[in-house]
Amino acid sequence: MKTTIHEQDERIVAVLEGELDTAAAQDVENALKPLFVDDKRDILLDCAQLDYIASSGLRILVSLLKNAKANGRKVTLKDVNDDIKNVFKLTGFLTLFDFE
Amino acid sequence: MLKFFNVTQDIVRSRLDTFRRKFPNLGIILVAALLLELISAVQYWYTRGLLAQELEHHAESELRLKAVIVKGILNAIETSLRDHAYDARHHLADHESLYPVAGRLVRAHPNIMSGGIAFKPYYYSTDERLYEPFALCRGDSISFMQLADADHDYTQMEFYVQALAQGDVYWSAPYIDEKGGLGLITTVSMPLDDADGQTVAVLGADVSLNWLGDTLNNRHMYPSSFDILLTESGRLIAGPHEKGTDLNTVVALINDSTKARQLSQTGRTTVLDMDDAKNGDATIFYANMKGEPHWQIAVVYYDHEVYGKLNRMRWNILLLSLLGLLLLGYIIYRSAGSFRRLKQADMEKERINGELRIARNIQKDMLPEHFPPFPERHDLDLYGMLEPAKEVGGDLFDFLVRDEKLFFCIGDVSGKGVPSALVMAVTHAFFRSASAHETNPARIMKALNGASCAGNESNMFVTLFVGVLDLPTGRLKYCNAGHDRPFVLEGGSARELPVKANIPIGLFDDFVYQAQEEMLTSGAMLFLYTDGLTEARDPQRAFFGEKRLKDILDNYATTKLTAEQLLKNMNDCVRQFVSGAEQSDDLTMLAVHYMPKKEDTLLHESITLKNDISEITALSRFVKAFTESIGMKKSEASNLRLAIEEAVVNVITYAYPRETEGTVTVEADVRTSTEEDQCLYIRIMDNGVPFDPTEAAEVDTSLSAEERPIGGLGIHLMRELMDSLNYEREDGLNILTLKKKLKDNPIKFNNNENNNP
Repeated sequence: MKTTIHEQDERIVAVLEGELDTAAAQDVENALKPLFVDDKRDILLDCAQLDYIASSGLRILVSLLKNAKANGRKVTLKDVNDDIKNVFKLTGFLTLFDFE
Repeated sequence: MLKFFNVTQDIVRSRLDTFRRKFPNLGIILVAALLLELISAVQYWYTRGLLAQELEHHAESELRLKAVIVKGILNAIETSLRDHAYDARHHLADHESLYPVAGRLVRAHPNIMSGGIAFKPYYYSTDERLYEPFALCRGDSISFMQLADADHDYTQMEFYVQALAQGDVYWSAPYIDEKGGLGLITTVSMPLDDADGQTVAVLGADVSLNWLGDTLNNRHMYPSSFDILLTESGRLIAGPHEKGTDLNTVVALINDSTKARQLSQTGRTTVLDMDDAKNGDATIFYANMKGEPHWQIAVVYYDHEVYGKLNRMRWNILLLSLLGLLLLGYIIYRSAGSFRRLKQADMEKERINGELRIARNIQKDMLPEHFPPFPERHDLDLYGMLEPAKEVGGDLFDFLVRDEKLFFCIGDVSGKGVPSALVMAVTHAFFRSASAHETNPARIMKALNGASCAGNESNMFVTLFVGVLDLPTGRLKYCNAGHDRPFVLEGGSARELPVKANIPIGLFDDFVYQAQEEMLTSGAMLFLYTDGLTEARDPQRAFFGEKRLKDILDNYATTKLTAEQLLKNMNDCVRQFVSGAEQSDDLTMLAVHYMPKKEDTLLHESITLKNDISEITALSRFVKAFTESIGMKKSEASNLRLAIEEAVVNVITYAYPRETEGTVTVEADVRTSTEEDQCLYIRIMDNGVPFDPTEAAEVDTSLSAEERPIGGLGIHLMRELMDSLNYEREDGLNILTLKKKLKDNPIKFNNNENNNP
């Protein structure tokens, strides 16, 4: 699992690559720490290379969303694959996030 | 002003409406009153007509009779006169001897007051022109005199002149005798012939007419009516003594009518109406007496006497009618009132019945009504029936399958009817909600008891049996709250399920309910019932009884009946037993037939992991290898991996206390049975603290990001991704089984290498 962060078009972009299972969750959470700081810019999560996500991964995304919303920021997910989208659907996350 | 008028009109209308509502049959009574009055009036006028006719007949005979009486007396007097004419003819020779003749004449009839013989001038003496020997009766004495003198020249008098002129008896017009003081008199006279037939004198007698009035009026049908006698010219001759005031009116009326027509020519009775100020309306009948003298006789009848009785009768009838109508009105009013009340009560009853019918349907809809309830399951056969004694009942049964477990219950609310039905509905709802997240029947019972005790002011209680049958293993956990013990039909006989003495729910909210456990063998049939079965009575009031029930069940245990057949046969037995007697209590039965399928294991793999999150990587590898080996599609494999990971993470996180080492074993099996296609079973086992993930509350996926809790998604994902979940605690192990049917993509075995039965 690889997590990289960069800026693009006034947004902070986090690229998630690999499988976000429970074993990887702690590392990813740490890697995404910069997104939790006080900032006004919107967040884009690039999921094009994300193959798998477990509920621990979903929990990270919900924490990120809650924090961002509290600061008036928008969280957008990009290029989510069908299997993961199905998981989002089953958990009701489709309505929580914005998708590109 | 117009507005005021409208308001007034409205008030009047509303008053009228109120009146009409209060007296809805007033119209009927009014019409009845009019009809009665009409009948009464017609009857009155008809009867009055008849009476008038009758009166006329009566008057005619009265007049005839009175005429006959008067004429009789007058004829007697006339006869006396004729007799004495004969007497006088023999004494003509001695003029002195004529005085005794006159005396005899006077005595001949009591009404002859005086009499004499008036000779033609110069009959006896050329000196004396007139001679009239005369006798006068005063009481008992008779005085004689020669009446004729210069002042009394009878040759000019009516009696003398007319008798000679007519040559026969002549009755003079009545007159008042002022000289003699005899009152009203008349003179009857006749010519007296000598032996040669020469008329020599006129024989006359003064007849008192005072008696006439009394004779005429001595008897009458009506006390106020009276007869009078008039001369031909209309002068009053005789009438009643006391009624002088009326007489003049009557005489005047008769005279008026006589002038208008020729009375003498009519022999008929004439009718006149009289309006007398003193005595009211009256009718006068009068007619001519036939022959000499040509007098008129009249009779007067007063209406108040003739029609008085009729009038009184009419008023009486009217009064009676009025009373009758009032009574009728009262009766109608009362009966209309009671009719209204009856109708109202009827409508009320109909409404309640209608509502009860609806309630009955609602209650029916609460209970399972589609059988078989789980057509896709081949390990379970269920049937239930409930027959309420009334429209709605206090019995209940229910069942549902969750996480490969059958939750079922049967219960009986104390009492019957609507109150019981309400408690039944509440109990049913609590059972459903408790079963959704509780797996232990004792805890389900506890939840139900707590809910039933809360606000149970009327102290209703429920005997209830709750069972949870684990379908993969046949482990039956149950809790009995004072309900009749169910039977288990197993191995060719029926036995009662042993139960602990738990009290019914709804009594004490701190009571600790205890669950029990039994293993059901394949093919076992559970039979549950309410006391409506054992307490069903035949016409002789004998109970169906538990002994009879057990005998029947023993008998059925040897057969291969389905749950439906068992209950229908049992129901027939009860019906036959009660043979038409009224059902006194709700009758409910539930049969659960447990028949797990036999399965062959096609593939078996397993891995044991330590309770460390890093082990998830090894798990992922295991799952990937397994899913690839059975050729599972990538997305399905991903779903399976997610479900397993969530289950294993649960164990790693919660099963063991922190810093304690433990293991978790994951077994993957592919099995098949005759009824079902291939199924994949994933068993996750650990020997940590007992933990049933299927009891976790469902997450609400419709909440917003702010409202969503961070966790709780694992079990939700397992349920969503797998076909079913099952948890059992067995031999100190937590065993969670995830099941996925492989019907879309079964394993294709090229060889039997991996087949491990």
